[in-house]
Amino acid sequence: MMNFRRVLPAGRRRETLAQGGASAPTAPPAPAVAQSQLDAERLCRLIHETTKLDPHRKPGHQLAFLVRSIFQVESVAIFDADLHEVYQSGEWFDDPQNMLQNISTFETVSDDPETGLSRRVLHMGLLSIGALVIRGETRGQIATAIASVVAITFDRYHSFANESRTEIARQTEQLRTTVLDSLAHAYKTPLTVIRAASEGLSARGSLSLEQAELVAQIEEQTALLNRLTTSLLRTARLQASEMIPHAEKVEVASLVEDVVASLRDQLAKVSVRVEIARDDLSLRCDRGLLVALLTQYVDNAAKYGAPGTAATIHAEDGDSEVIFSVHSKGPVIPPADFERIFDRYYRSSASSNKAPGTGIGLSIAKRAAQAQGGHVWVTSDLQKGTTFYASLPITPQGGIRT
Amino acid sequence: MTASSSIPAIRVLLVDDEPAIRRALRTPLNEMGFQTTEAVRGEDALHLVQTQTFDVVLLDVNMPGIGGMKTLVRLRALAPRLPILMLTVVDGEEEKVEALENGADDYITKPFSIRECVARLRSAVRRAQTPERNEDAPIAIGEIQVLPTRRAVSKAGQSIHLTRKQYDILYYLMTHAGRAVTYGKLLTAVWGPDYRQEVDYLRTFVRQLRKKIEDDPSDPKYLLTDAYVGYRFAEQLVENDVPDAPAS
Repeated sequence: MMNFRRVLPAGRRRETLAQGGASAPTAPPAPAVAQSQLDAERLCRLIHETTKLDPHRKPGHQLAFLVRSIFQVESVAIFDADLHEVYQSGEWFDDPQNMLQNISTFETVSDDPETGLSRRVLHMGLLSIGALVIRGETRGQIATAIASVVAITFDRYHSFANESRTEIARQTEQLRTTVLDSLAHAYKTPLTVIRAASEGLSARGSLSLEQAELVAQIEEQTALLNRLTTSLLRTARLQASEMIPHAEKVEVASLVEDVVASLRDQLAKVSVRVEIARDDLSLRCDRGLLVALLTQYVDNAAKYGAPGTAATIHAEDGDSEVIFSVHSKGPVIPPADFERIFDRYYRSSASSNKAPGTGIGLSIAKRAAQAQGGHVWVTSDLQKGTTFYASLPITPQGGIRT
Repeated sequence: MTASSSIPAIRVLLVDDEPAIRRALRTPLNEMGFQTTEAVRGEDALHLVQTQTFDVVLLDVNMPGIGGMKTLVRLRALAPRLPILMLTVVDGEEEKVEALENGADDYITKPFSIRECVARLRSAVRRAQTPERNEDAPIAIGEIQVLPTRRAVSKAGQSIHLTRKQYDILYYLMTHAGRAVTYGKLLTAVWGPDYRQEVDYLRTFVRQLRKKIEDDPSDPKYLLTDAYVGYRFAEQLVENDVPDAPAS
């Protein structure tokens, strides 16, 4: 059994290690003191950096990189026995996988001055959970300490990942996604065929005026059916994910950029203006839900905006919320409809003759906002045009999972 | 078949388990001078590329058997330079990223327009047939010019000062012009594999870069956003990219 020392809990780590490095009262030769001091500082840095890692992400790659860059060694390889994955940083001429597996299985710990290889087992309690190999100048004690830090970081990741409730929820969500994906596939296939066939007809160029008109109708209605399918699938997906909105940091500028880029075709007849209060405006919310909401608003502006006018997407932060708005110039929504327009299947008399729709789009937007403690509203008049608003808390409210 | 020019037909391997899709693609592609061969499953496609020569593969993601993604990986191993375009359904952003990171050259979303499909096929084949460019050769797209030997960038003859990383991003995207480059790929190329998740970081750099090279950074013409996937540098500049309207 190797000499294994557990690193102390977070609060005391730094102090203990710093003492361990520089406390010797009877001074050994100066360079050794300097080296100990340096090693201790590096260990502290490593611990500090690892505590900043996202506990939901596999830490292996970052750990290998951190160890190599902080301790200035040639190369580092780490093996996670649980996931059966190898993470490397620096150059390895031979694949280190076998060596790592052997260390982990047979617990062969060594420091070889000839090859410069330090081999360590990653332990959690008595259990071997992986291996670490460092090539380059490291003192044996330090390699052991590094192995402890790596082991603890792995353990932290696994305990996050194995949290059973999260796991079950995730699996349920995955199942729903799978069903919806096959549904999407089932609908998109005939749509693809109809579109290809009617385009093939019109590309021939030998059609009479009447024939061309009939083909144009097929193409238009196919496009409509495609949009309806997409929006129905989006609603279904939203319902599926509604139970567990996942909050993450969302940069408004980049999210708006994605939404606009994904609607490029729909936005052909209106121009788009984006006004975001500041470049680094961000909030914590469910990215997918916010995308669904803004996609709906922008798509609406594209659909109902008068040709040649501008659709303006605006975002700014208030005290504790971010307010999004999409403004366009199109048909006026009567005040009586301001509330009802967000209800499912309700279509305003102002819109129902102007553009095709399902009457579910805005209800998606409303649900997406409410699911995370936000709300939606609209203003509309002839002079100022129509503006759809959504307000979302900067940090999640209620039962949202973070 | 009415191949009106003397250009040899582009040989397409069409892999989709849906007979209706293969049929719908076969006729228009043949009419536009493509020579199509069909495979129903990934396994068949792998067999075909070992026995015949193709210029490009059109590969459905969602198939029984080993499926599109595994087929992609194995095709890539067999034929490193063969252009492969993936057929996906809308809402499959993760699928697109996965395909691109596994070596697909591009993706097409169902239901696609034949015009778009043909344009993507041609451009993938053209890129594959362009001789490997010299790393130091100047690159020019639209008004943007890059001289790699001096790491110098200019727009319409006016020199533009870029930071090191901004230059690296621009150089990578321009040498991959026309292709969707995922965030992960770009981050790995410019910062290294340890940074492949730092998308917000990359976006900041791209925003700064756009301010320097675009006429209107909020409506970019060169450095385009490929929604939820990454970036795509324009292959050539199209001034008025209005989709052809059906006869009205």
